[in-house]
Order: sequence, then structure tokens, then C-alpha cells
Amino acid sequence: MTQPYATVLTITHAVLALLMPVLLVGVINRTKSWWAGRKGPRLLQSASDLRRLLRKRSLISTVASPLFHAGAYMVLVCSLVAVAMTPMLGRFAPLQFSHDFIVVAYTLGLARIALMVSAMDVGSSFEGMGAAREASFSSYAEPALFLLIGTASAATGMTSFADLIGHLHDTPHYLLIVAPFALALLILLQAEAARVPVDDPMTHLELTMIHEVMILDHSGPELAAMQYCAGVKITLYAGLIASLLNPMNPGSEPVAAILVSLGLMLLVALVVGCIESLVARLPMHWVPRYVLLAGAAALASMVALGLGASGL
Amino acid sequence: MDHLVWAVGALMLGGVLCLLPARNGLRAGVGLASQLIATLLVWWSVIPVLMGAPDRILELPWGYPIGALHFRLDALGAFFLSWSLPMTLLGSVYAVGYLRRYFDSPRHMGVHFGLLNMISLSFILVYTGEHAVTFLLGWEIAALSAWLLVIWDYTNQRVRFAGFNYLVSTHVGLIFLVAAVMILYTHTQSWYLDDYGDWMRQNPGTVRNTVFLLLVTSFGLKSAFFPFHSWLPRAHAAAPAHVSALMSGVIHKAGLFALVHFLMISGKPDEWMGWFLIAFSITSAVVGGLYTVGQRDLKRLLGYSSTENVGIAGIGFGLGCLGQSWDHPTLVALGFGGGLLHVLNHAFFKCQLFYAAGCVYQIKHVVDMERLGGLFRLMPITAVCFIVGGVAISALPPFNGFVSEFMLYSGLFGSGISPIWATLALSLVAAALAFVGAVSALSMTRAFGVIFLGNARDTELPQGQEACGWMLAPMCLHAAGTALLGIAPTLGLAMVAAPTALLMHGLPGPQGPRILQELAGTLSRVGLFSAALVLAVLAVLWLRRRVLRPSAAASSTWGCGYGAPSARMQYTGTGFSTDFAAPFKGILLLLKRRKAPAGYFPSDSYVITDCVDAVERRLYAVIGHGDESAADISRKMHEDDPRLAFAAGLAGIVAIAALIVVSEGALP
Repeated sequence: MTQPYATVLTITHAVLALLMPVLLVGVINRTKSWWAGRKGPRLLQSASDLRRLLRKRSLISTVASPLFHAGAYMVLVCSLVAVAMTPMLGRFAPLQFSHDFIVVAYTLGLARIALMVSAMDVGSSFEGMGAAREASFSSYAEPALFLLIGTASAATGMTSFADLIGHLHDTPHYLLIVAPFALALLILLQAEAARVPVDDPMTHLELTMIHEVMILDHSGPELAAMQYCAGVKITLYAGLIASLLNPMNPGSEPVAAILVSLGLMLLVALVVGCIESLVARLPMHWVPRYVLLAGAAALASMVALGLGASGL
Repeated sequence: MDHLVWAVGALMLGGVLCLLPARNGLRAGVGLASQLIATLLVWWSVIPVLMGAPDRILELPWGYPIGALHFRLDALGAFFLSWSLPMTLLGSVYAVGYLRRYFDSPRHMGVHFGLLNMISLSFILVYTGEHAVTFLLGWEIAALSAWLLVIWDYTNQRVRFAGFNYLVSTHVGLIFLVAAVMILYTHTQSWYLDDYGDWMRQNPGTVRNTVFLLLVTSFGLKSAFFPFHSWLPRAHAAAPAHVSALMSGVIHKAGLFALVHFLMISGKPDEWMGWFLIAFSITSAVVGGLYTVGQRDLKRLLGYSSTENVGIAGIGFGLGCLGQSWDHPTLVALGFGGGLLHVLNHAFFKCQLFYAAGCVYQIKHVVDMERLGGLFRLMPITAVCFIVGGVAISALPPFNGFVSEFMLYSGLFGSGISPIWATLALSLVAAALAFVGAVSALSMTRAFGVIFLGNARDTELPQGQEACGWMLAPMCLHAAGTALLGIAPTLGLAMVAAPTALLMHGLPGPQGPRILQELAGTLSRVGLFSAALVLAVLAVLWLRRRVLRPSAAASSTWGCGYGAPSARMQYTGTGFSTDFAAPFKGILLLLKRRKAPAGYFPSDSYVITDCVDAVERRLYAVIGHGDESAADISRKMHEDDPRLAFAAGLAGIVAIAALIVVSEGALP
């Protein structure tokens, strides 16, 4: 499918996909510092952090196998490829083909397995624990994403990810399904990108970590890649929420669509930051229930669609 | 078809020659040579059929009461034959390495290789037999040979029990199969599967439904669907690695073949059959996946993942049935095509994983993951093969498992399905399939991480290194196939295209070839994507090496400041799965035996956890219970009273007569 302004949109999507991980993390941290009454770090602080890490030499455990060297970069490539296929500006993604959402979900799955294998690779009990948590929580998160996709696919009858999400507001039952849909995506963001209340990126106690504990033995450029990827995941889900809510059509009014999406993504970061400031993180055994809430919300949107479509 | 006859001859001759008095090495050589010849002959006849040549038919006159024997090689049989025989050959090559230390012992190795020949022979009989008797004969040869192969280590009582358990289960399956054949025989007075198909096409109804249910039970037992899987983990754990690999990857695919073959000949299925198959299969996939999480024994884990994967293939077949009953050719192509492709893919990566487990067993003599660890350094090739298989079995790109699941998901999220609730129900199935994928990623990461990464947990186990070339070669060939079918999925699609077209025959709307062509287009894009992903990772690694400071300094693992970590402090497999398994207590029965330390100077204390099969446990509980209550009833009834025996006989006769009267003379 050729879209008008495809080149402009592709370039914008690429620029946003690369920059937003830094900016969104900055916005979240800034929001948290506002709530705490601190001045807080600069908006682009994490860019400086990443640059500093890139210049450092990495330390690798003697226990690690050769796979360890590739792990971080596999996570990086997979996350970036996934974000290239995910809509961010409405009904548009640079890489788009029929049933590409399956590829997105499973590419993220590959990134996850690379992360978990890297964590297990150094033979540390903490990192093994982190990998186990990541694996079990993601197995609750994955069905939720597929339920959302199924709902969107049944509502629009389209086959590519960007079309599914971007065309939802043209469907008659948009208002019925949008709220649970967005809620499910927000919970998925928190679960997959390791944010409060599922995980706390700022914690300093190994026993309470999920994502951070898995990258304990990464350093230098590898750590930079891993930290950047966490931002990429925020961008991916924030972009999905933005395209779900964005009423503009990037094909006909690209500037408006881009601006609205940008605003919505920043808003998502703001919301995530507010939640992080106001809510304590959950005890570990509650996390699966919280993630299942995403599944329940997705199921609710599905039921709403079913009832709406059958005229009840 | 003549080549197939020659292939049967070669296998039988090879099997007999294996038994002759000779050196064990020579016997193995004869077995391998005859299998190689048979494989080439089989390829000679099946490749043209897969390319679109007409079916090959052979009739052999035979005596009363069997009548003439019919064999027919159609595209479906050709697809299964095209990989079953070569994979059995590879399994036999692996056997040479695996059993090499017995070659100089007085043990007769010819029997083992002869039995492997018989397995290949049974494939030809089952996949081409048009006559019910030859079909059942092939089925039985496969079952008995597999049983005898499983009990290779027959001096071990546990192995004998596992074998006996398998033998009983497979024959319970045979009872259902024979019952279905008997029903069809009474209606058609014929031994030919074709006639059965004709009859069922003309008379859809109760009888066809009964036959369908009987056959699903029988084939479910053969392919180890839940809840008919309880024989499987025992058999897989007890058998030599190559036998487990062949059973899981190749032999038990006969059940799925028979299911598809039945669906193919029995005409347009009812809608409920599709939904039933999907529900049956997704249960299998979910429960099989959950079981893999709890296992400590690597081979049991891989065995359970067979249950999961036949379930995934079964979802495809159910989807195909729905497509047939809704006259939706795209759904038929995606369902049956995806299911068949998954069968092929599973054969590739499952054999590979079992071979890797065999290599581990060969050097460490255990497959209990809690005692292993750090094997990557000892056996890098095996480790890489295992992780390739693990990624493929979790259906992740860039390997072949992803391609077949992509097809299944495309079907489940298919467009043009009319009632909205059907679309949503299929989305629920897709979500369940996503759960299965994530669970299988969990258990493969767990198995790989605990066994191959980190440090060795038990230093008392023998040290060793990579297994011999006889074992590595088949494993690497399988891994290469797994990668190739992932990067070039059109190859796999080309193999399943002919059988899928056969199943799409007779549907209205746009013709099969066009749909398959579109599908090939989509799949080639998926393949391109996978290849690009691999290249991108390599490019980034290269860039990192060139641009950034290259040398990484070595250090020790972060231990929270603790200076003397030991290998026993690493995360264990049980620890990995405990959190996840907690909500699934009903399925993942964790038995814990422990002796707590007591006193000021505790001497010995232990805790042993074991994940046992819930179905098997309940089955035995019920059998034990039933045994007791039967004994109880018999005591109360004074069984030795002849009047009671006569009364029971009379009641039986009356019941049979009533059945005949009610069924209006359907019985001859």
C-alpha cells in the first residue's frame, strides 16, 4: 500500500523511534521530580548517560559464554525492528505487511529470550531470579496483547498492525472499546518496559528487581544498549496508545497527525511518571494479577465489541 | 510405486541381514546402507508426486479373506514419507555414535538396527496403505518396534515399566482404531479406505460422528495429545536419545497423518468437528506447555513439549476443518498448510533437541538439570544446536517454528469469517497460543540456562567433551534444516503445497493455486525479514567491534559483594519455575520429600521436589480405587454362584439382541 507523504512519515517515524526513548525517560523522570519537589535531571540526561557508557570499556564475567557478547545487541536490534513495524503516528508504520503484528510480538519475544539468556549466562542467582520473573510475567502479558490485536482485527477487518490500530476510530464501536484498550496497553507498557508498579528502575536492592537485575553484569556499551532498549519499549507502547487515540489521518494531514501523536506520547510518559510518583510498587506476588488485569481489560474490550456488533 | 516396493524389499533384506552373525559394526553398516537405499528409492517416487504428478497406485492380488492389497501414494502420504525416512536414517546414524561403546561387547546390536529398519518399513505401509489391514499392520509394526527400541536398557526395571506402559497405551489406541474400522466395515462391506471415504461423504451423521470421535481418541493416543499423553514422559525418559527423538519427531506423526487423511477422505466436515479439534488441541498445547515448566529431567521436558506441539499442529487442522465447513479456502490453506508445516518443523527441531540431550547424557550420564551446568564450555556445538532448537520451538524468528505459527496466527486472525463471535473465539485461541509460546520460551530458557550456562553444579560428574561426529552430524543437519526452513519458508510451503491443495479440492471460490501463491508471497517476506534480522544483528556486532573500544576486561560475576560464591548458589531449574508454577498447582503436581535439619549438629537433611504427571497419578488412583471397589462388589455378590453367571449371560444376550434390533440390521 502506498501512502501519500510516505517518505516524510517514514523519516519522522525513524527520528521519533530513535529519539523518543531518551526523551520519554526524561519526561518520566522530570515528572517524578516535580512530584517530589526536586529540580530533577535534565530532560535529555539519559542521552549523556548513554554517551558516557559508550565510551567505557566493558567488563565481562569469566563465567559468561560467547553468547553473552551478542545478547545486548540482539535485544537492541529486535527492539528497534519491532518499533519500526509498530504504528506511532496513526495508521502508518514504515515496515508494514499483512499480519506483521505477529512478527512484532515474536521479535519482541526474541529480544526477551536474548535478555534472559544473557542474564542466565553469568551464573548469578540474582540474575537467574530476574530471568524467571521476566519469563513468568511476560507469559501473562503476551495473551493480553494478542487479545487486543484480535479485538482490533475483528473490529476493522484489516490485516496489518498500523491499519488495525489506526483505523479503529472509524469503526462504529470505537467509543465502547477504546477505554479498556488503552488501559490494557498502559499496563502492558508498565510490565514490558519495567516501570512502577511492576518493577522499579530506580531500586537498589537486587532481590526486588526484575529488569535491572538481569543486566547487572552488563557494562559499558552493552549496558547502554540494554538501557536504551528499555526506553525503546516505552516508546513502542506509548506510540501504540498514541495511534489508538490519534484522530488525525497521517495520509491527509501529516503535520497535525505527527504533532498530535507526539503530544499523546509525551502525555503517556507524563501519566507513567505520575503513577510512579503516586503509587508504590506492588509486592512481587501481586504482579501477575496486575498483569492479568491487562488481559481482563483486553477481554472487556473484546466483549464490548462482541456485544456492540451483535446489536445488544 | 515400483520404487516403493523395492524400498520395502531393501528394508526387509537389510533387517534380516542385520541379524546374521557378523561383527556389530558390520551389522550397523548393513542397517544404515539399507536405509540409505530405501530413502533414495522413496525420494525417487515421492518427489514427483509432491511436484504435482498424479497419485501412484499399486494393487497386489492376495488371498482370502484380505482380498487384493491396495496401495496409493497421494500428496499427503508423499509429504510424510519425504522426511520420515531420511530422518529415521539420521536417527540410525546417531545410534551408531550413541551405542558405539556396546559395539565391542557381546550384545547383539543387529536387533536394534533391524528394528530401526522396521520403523522405516512401517512408514511406507501406513502412509501408502489403502487397505485397512495393511494400514493396521503398519501401525502395529511401528508400535511394536518402537516398544522394543524403548526397552534397549531392559535390565532396568523402570525402563521395562516405561516400555510396558507405552505398549498398553498404544494398544488401547489400537482398540479404538479397530472399533472405527469395524463400524465402517459393517456399513461398506469393504476393506478399502477409499470406500469408507465414499460412504462417509454420502452419509454424514451419527455414524460418521462416532467414527470421528473414535479416531480422534485413537490418533490422540498415538500422538500423545492431552489427556492421552501419560505414557509419553516415561517412554521418552527411558528410551535411548535417538529413539526418543524418532518417536517424538517422526513415528508419532503417524497419528496426525491418519487424522488428516481421515479428514481428507471423509468429505466436508461438520462445523462442530473443527471447534472440537481446536478445543482438544489447544488444551493439549496449553497443558503440555505447562508440564514442560515443572520438569527436572531434560528428556521428560522434551517429551511433554511434544504434547504441546502436536496440539499446535492440531489447532491448524481444526482451523482447516472450520474452513472446509464454512467454504473458506484461505482458512483451509492456512490451517492445514500451517498444521502440516508445523509437523515438519517439529520433526526438525524436536529431533535436534533430543540429540542434544543425548550428547549431554553421553558425557555426563545424567539429564537431571539440577546437577548439570556450564556445559557450554565443554560442548559448544551441542549448546548452540540446543539453543537454536529452543528458539525454534518457542516459535521465534528467525527459525522454522515461527513460520508455521505465523501461518496459524494468520488463520486465527483471518478476515471474512462471518459471525463476530467466531472471530472473537478464534482470537481467544490465538491468545492461548501466545501463552503457549511464552511458556515454551520460559521452559527453553530455563533448560538452556540451567544446563548449558553458568558453572557446573555437580563436580563429581565425569568431565568430558563434545560427542563424536556420528552424533554431531545428524544434530547439525537438523539444526541446518531448522535454520533453512526459517530463512527460506517458501521451501517448507512448497513441501506442504501439494497436500494442502488436495485438502482444498472441491471448495468454491478462487482456486487453490492462487491462494497458495499469495501465501508464498507473504511467507517469503517473513523469510526476508528473518534473514534481515540476522544480518542486522551481525552488522551491529561488527560495528561494535570496529567503532567502540574493542577489548573487554574479564571480571567475576556480581555477587552483591559476597566474595566466595559457589556453583551451588546458582539459580536452579526448580527455582526458575516455582513462581510461575504456583497458580497451576492442579496441573503441575509438585511432590516434595524432605528431611529437615534437626538438633544442634544436624547430620543429613534433604529436600527433593519432583513434578509428577497429574493425569497419570489420577489414572492410577482411579484404577486402584476401581480395583478395590470391584473386589468389594464381587465379594458382596457371591460371584461363584452359578445362577448369577447365567443371569449375567442372559442379560448380555438380550442387550446384544436389542442393539441389533434397534440399529435396524446395520450389522450383517
